[in-house]
Amino acid sequence: MNLQYGQIVQYLPDFLWGALTALWIAGLAFAGGLVIGIACAALLRESPWLIRAPIRAYVAFFTYTPQLVQIFFLFFALPEAGLILSPIAAVLIGMTLNAGAYLTEIARAGFAAVPQAELDAAETLGFSRAQTVWHVITPHIIRALYPALSNHYIIMTLGTSMAAIFGVEELTGRALNANAISFRSIEIFSVVAVIYIGLTIIASTLLWAVGRALFRVKARVF
Amino acid sequence: MSALDIILAEAPRFYSWWNLRFLLIAVGNTLLASIAGCAIGYALGFALALARLPQLVPLAAIRILAILWVEAFRRIPFLVLLLLVFFAAQFAKLEAPLAAIAIAAVAIRMSALAAENVRAGLEGVRPTQWEAALTMNIAPWTVLGRIVLPQAWRVILPPSIVHVLSMVKETSLVSQIGFIEITFAAKMLTQRGFSALLTYGTALILYFIVSFALAAFGRWLERRLIPDRGDRDRSPPQSPAPASAGLAARH
Repeated sequence: MNLQYGQIVQYLPDFLWGALTALWIAGLAFAGGLVIGIACAALLRESPWLIRAPIRAYVAFFTYTPQLVQIFFLFFALPEAGLILSPIAAVLIGMTLNAGAYLTEIARAGFAAVPQAELDAAETLGFSRAQTVWHVITPHIIRALYPALSNHYIIMTLGTSMAAIFGVEELTGRALNANAISFRSIEIFSVVAVIYIGLTIIASTLLWAVGRALFRVKARVF
Repeated sequence: MSALDIILAEAPRFYSWWNLRFLLIAVGNTLLASIAGCAIGYALGFALALARLPQLVPLAAIRILAILWVEAFRRIPFLVLLLLVFFAAQFAKLEAPLAAIAIAAVAIRMSALAAENVRAGLEGVRPTQWEAALTMNIAPWTVLGRIVLPQAWRVILPPSIVHVLSMVKETSLVSQIGFIEITFAAKMLTQRGFSALLTYGTALILYFIVSFALAAFGRWLERRLIPDRGDRDRSPPQSPAPASAGLAARH
């Protein structure tokens, strides 16, 4: 037996479309997670114990259990409670809730990056609350959070590979299909691995360039 | 029938002695794969980080190889890496047990993560320390062991426990090749006809307990070993400050 890469060239376009699917699944889940994360982090800062406790429980639960089992639960257990989700819906909801928990932690660190002295200065200068948020808090938070958020987006892009287990045809799913037809396992999965490497390098370079151009963030991402 | 009714009706039959024993073995296997994999991976990652130090490795080719290894394996999803290891073992006709494949995959993944972490720790020590020690004609390995590592390990240790924690969760993917860890055990019990609410719910609780215990252990270790964590982010201490001073500074 030897390696024959010639036999799998025909699958390459298919794989590249799968890579795009991986990017948008990660993008959607990331966007949803970001909304949850910022809301939860803001609520954790200034709200009574009764609201903070369930948020803490949510973050702990989703960060201490594997994403795969969370999606398993959504996909296989919820139908018994009367809620049937399609594979892609289960993956998107699972990844969004998971991202929300991690991004809550990240956003909390970002909120802490705003220096108290600048808030005091804004108050002294008679800034309204909206002005303070827009001119003082937001620039700090974006600059502090941008590298961590970019990292998390790339980690999520890699995480989309587990959607294949539920039959979603993203990059890994298409690789499994091609493997079932051709049995050229090593060739297929090594090519797929290289695509993931290329994908994350392109994504992190783009994120770095955008961060530098828009927010003057110099840190290298992933 | 509502979800609660299903759980209440099946729970006594589900939590039988044999099922609990089966789940306990599965927890053991999860811990085996992640802890053994992390231990091997950390040793490998440590070697990779050292291979990137120009003070120790004069040959640029070796440094570049180490960089390529790290950059490649941290960018491959764990599932794809696992399947690659699985099929590579088949290809080489190794007939390796599933546990070995799981441990190997965790170790490769961990080596890339650990190398980055160790490198960050080593780079946290100022290059002038290396230069001063080498000028005094201290052997490079002695500089590493006696001067650099004692300062670097405070930066290295806390993220390593986070890494072990993340590998415990990543091993859930090992269920895909049939290694009987927590997720695969839950899958088997589901196929035996138990409610998925119970099986996957129990799996989630087991993962939570394991992760929570590991995280608590990590925090304890950090408090015990690094009493003056507050200084960590600033420049490395020139002379080791007494622990009491660090504690006072933190409060």
